[in-house]
Amino acid sequence: MAKYAGNWTSVTATAIADTTALTDNNYPYAIQGGTSTQRNVISDIMIGGEASSSTVIILKCARDSTASATLVAGTGGKAPVLLDGSGTAPATAPLGGNSASTDPQRSSTLHLINFSFNAFGGISRWVASPGYEIHVVGNTASLGDLSLSGFTGTGAAATSGQILFETV
Amino acid sequence: MKSLRSHEGYMLVDNRNGPGVDDATMIALGYPAGAGRGIYESATYTCSHCNTVVVIEPRRTRERGYCRKCSQRICDSCEALKAQNFECLTVKELADIVQESAERHADVQSIILPWEKSRS
Repeated sequence: MAKYAGNWTSVTATAIADTTALTDNNYPYAIQGGTSTQRNVISDIMIGGEASSSTVIILKCARDSTASATLVAGTGGKAPVLLDGSGTAPATAPLGGNSASTDPQRSSTLHLINFSFNAFGGISRWVASPGYEIHVVGNTASLGDLSLSGFTGTGAAATSGQILFETV
Repeated sequence: MKSLRSHEGYMLVDNRNGPGVDDATMIALGYPAGAGRGIYESATYTCSHCNTVVVIEPRRTRERGYCRKCSQRICDSCEALKAQNFECLTVKELADIVQESAERHADVQSIILPWEKSRS
């Protein structure tokens, strides 16, 4: 239906443990369904490091055990934009960004993808096979809220990247 | 009939232009030794039961999890769970259940029914 790109620029992810509230502008991106019945499928995640010295980054794409509230773009984050300039957005668009009135908490069990690379020149990318994307269903925890955030042990360095997803 | 390999995704970790990541960190995150140096490309599969993305280690000899009920690959955690309860619930089925439940509990005032539309 509507394909979106959620992207962030020069965001420094800090190490935050599972089931601890993420902090505004300190995680690259989170996605939440626009409605309780909306389904979004994530097909592509691309991350590039921007450190000026060697810094090992550990980012986790995981479902959130506490959903975000009033998720907005934040500093460096961007609200999801339609990939097709002539595309039609659903009545209630999905939410994305890295700032919220209540920030999400990463589930301790529902980790989906591990990203690790050296932010001093490194990049990482995951692409799903069509039909085997990650599903974000509804807008409540844990299925309806997903985040990409710095895991325990990550170094602090800026990254930029994007998450491609589709509201189906 | 499609092969399981035709459902594989793709993972890239490119450290060619940087110092890379030590093996201990990469192994702890589910990558093979050496994946943090140079360029690492691998096939992945998405667990049918929990959506976890599994980076396939080609040198692994132990059998990968597979669910005969949904005929899809599953991760080691779901494989262990299935061995205990023999149940199969895919994420897509779970999504249908969540959506249907949300729809049933939705505020009926917000739904425009055909006969209401014709009255206005």
